[in-house]
Amino acid sequence: MSDQAHMRAEHDLAPGEEEQHSVGTRILGYVVGLVLALLLTATSFFIAGTDLVWQPSIPVALIVLAIAQMGVHLVFFLHITTGPDNTNNVLALAFGLLVVFLVVGGTVWIMAHLNANMPAMDQIMPMRR
Amino acid sequence: MLGKLDWSAIPFDQPIPLIAGGVVLVGILAVLAWVVVKGHLPYLWHEWITSVDHKRIGVMYILLASVMLLRGGSDAIMMRIQQAVAYQSQGYLPPEHYNQIFSAHGTIMIFFVAMPFVIGLMNLIVPLQLGVRDVAFPTLNSVGFWLTATGALLVNLSLVIGEFARTGWLAFPPLSELSYSPGVGVDYYAWSLQISGVGTLVAGINLVTTVLKLRTKGMNYLRMPMFCWTTLASNLLIVAAFPILTATLAMLLLDRYLGFHFFTNEAGGNVMMFMNLIWAWGHPEVYILVLPAFGIFSEVVSTFSGKALFGYRSMVLATMAICVISFMVWLHHFFTMGAGPDVNAIFGIASMIIAIPTGVKIYNWLFTMYGGRIRFETPMLWSIGFMVTFIIGGLTGVLVAVPPADFILHNSMFLVAHFHNVIIGGVLFGAFAGFEYWFPKAFGFRLNDRWGKLAFWFTFLGFYVTFIPLYVAGMLGMTRRMQHYDVAAWRPWMLVAAVGMAVLTIGVICQIVQIVVSIRNREALRDRTGDPWDGRSLEWATSSPPPVFNFAFNPDVRGEDAYWDMKAHAKQQSLDHDTPEYQDIEMPRNSPTGFVCAFFATVMGFALIWHIWWMVILGGIGAFATFVVFAWRDHDEYVIPADEVAAIDRVNLEERRNLVSMAGTV
Repeated sequence: MSDQAHMRAEHDLAPGEEEQHSVGTRILGYVVGLVLALLLTATSFFIAGTDLVWQPSIPVALIVLAIAQMGVHLVFFLHITTGPDNTNNVLALAFGLLVVFLVVGGTVWIMAHLNANMPAMDQIMPMRR
Repeated sequence: MLGKLDWSAIPFDQPIPLIAGGVVLVGILAVLAWVVVKGHLPYLWHEWITSVDHKRIGVMYILLASVMLLRGGSDAIMMRIQQAVAYQSQGYLPPEHYNQIFSAHGTIMIFFVAMPFVIGLMNLIVPLQLGVRDVAFPTLNSVGFWLTATGALLVNLSLVIGEFARTGWLAFPPLSELSYSPGVGVDYYAWSLQISGVGTLVAGINLVTTVLKLRTKGMNYLRMPMFCWTTLASNLLIVAAFPILTATLAMLLLDRYLGFHFFTNEAGGNVMMFMNLIWAWGHPEVYILVLPAFGIFSEVVSTFSGKALFGYRSMVLATMAICVISFMVWLHHFFTMGAGPDVNAIFGIASMIIAIPTGVKIYNWLFTMYGGRIRFETPMLWSIGFMVTFIIGGLTGVLVAVPPADFILHNSMFLVAHFHNVIIGGVLFGAFAGFEYWFPKAFGFRLNDRWGKLAFWFTFLGFYVTFIPLYVAGMLGMTRRMQHYDVAAWRPWMLVAAVGMAVLTIGVICQIVQIVVSIRNREALRDRTGDPWDGRSLEWATSSPPPVFNFAFNPDVRGEDAYWDMKAHAKQQSLDHDTPEYQDIEMPRNSPTGFVCAFFATVMGFALIWHIWWMVILGGIGAFATFVVFAWRDHDEYVIPADEVAAIDRVNLEERRNLVSMAGTV
């Protein structure tokens, strides 16, 4: 089925199928990714325990660092790029993010309302006393 | 040694499941004996069980779905008879048995009839429509099928060994927790869905990859037949939604097996979280089932109207809109749980919005028919029947999407009538339309059209006689899942529904007769050209049944309705007679991986249900070892020499030229 492999448009590649760079370039890419990932992890642990920053900003900082971590993984390890050969992967990522956002966000919203309107028995009882 | 399993697991005191199970067992043994004695076993093993050919796997999926349809249908008949007789009496089914029947009916009809039926049709047809030789991962495809079959086997095993869940088809806690369901019923339910869920997920990944990555020359996205688009949307939903089901059931299983408290009443568990999660999967699931059916109707309506599909691009847009919006409506399944007006209003509006793309589709089909030269063949009858029925079901759906109305109708027979109206009228009619339409492609002969039309009319009328009374009963306040009742006003409607069930049963019998009669007359019904319906897409460009490699040459697609275009082109050029140069074709080798893996999965599932821990380990190691052996295989393809390709292809080419030249003279 070699002709089929050939038929695949250049604009439609799977991760890892992109044109082959030399081994050195690829190793460099992975090393940069690893260093960035370690740096972000270390920063997260540092921020969580430190009192150098304004305390209420810590959760926000952790979220930002976590999202940056995901970005590093996507770019350096999963090879998601903005190039035209990556349209499918970017669209799949966008669809995945949308579904996660809808399901997680929706769940948090729904459950907050349900818990407020329908508290568990042991929470109702003390209120009545 | 054997965990919870002992002789008390077999229900000697209940004649109905025991006799039914016994008859089925004797039937299976008889078929097996016949296969072995006649010497068909090697054929069955080499050509079907280990096959990685997408067409064979598709046929096996549909066979599984058809057999399970009979099982689920028997449950339905028993329930309708029970409700017809159980007025101020206990009826003939004791409550614990009746509860198992309605749970099994729902589980089987959704997971082991509707799902395998649509996945089977997608498997069979999508690679052909895309003009390619197989799906992206052929062996994985076989694994997916056999894991689905494992789930079906476990559900049916519960009939004679142990019991099935008494909780309804979604096993809501706290009823499904260990304290209220201490038996093995819920475990049968959960493990069979976990195993078949893996199968569904790999089928979904496989088909998404196939549509995105394997298309023939010139088949860009906006030239794909509509069925390929709906397949893409439906399988994207499978990939996105089925992990939610797996995770939810895994949490329920942790509660039951390891004493966790995700969904228990005590120790901080939250029952409402289960409803939320299961419906976050459950609503996309509805569209996973119905989108492929929409695709089938698009193909059928356009073929039998002799016109290109009206508004192709709006249809694509509507399909993808449904794909996204289906993730925004799940709360409408539990409006009454107390989320309050803000949440209910938003989800109610979203549920009404999703009716818009669906309405776009209905109009597209109507306008495709408008001005067309319509042939009322059996697949077209199912499609028209669908349009009428589905609109009624859709309208009652919009009605229950209004939260205040839902507070009155929630969990009533009105709801039961509504979702049967959309699932039978949408998915099942679509499956039957696809079955009639593509049967000649799969087997090389058409189905008898008199019995097919009879089957349609009995099913169509039977559906209305059965389910319209359930709407009425729901309006009169009857709730679902009642083992007996004392309200005189409901009784006549239950009797009418039972009559409707009898008519539906005649419809099913007509389908069986149709298949038997057609097999007997197969020579007269033979489809020699591979294009029995004057079709428009590429699956009709090859012979019926297609050779193992589907196409001797990868078709060159120049526009929508690829094959229609080719036929018109050939007529104008008065047929090019130059002999093409054939080449060797590489095809994937057959592999028993799927079957062996499913065997070990069955052992493991059964052992998990009965707490036989050594057997769990054995099954787990076996399944893993199968994968390792497959991963270390040396060669996975074989070559079909060019001569053989030429010999197979020439026969079909000759027939086809005759057809086109005859059509030219008419």
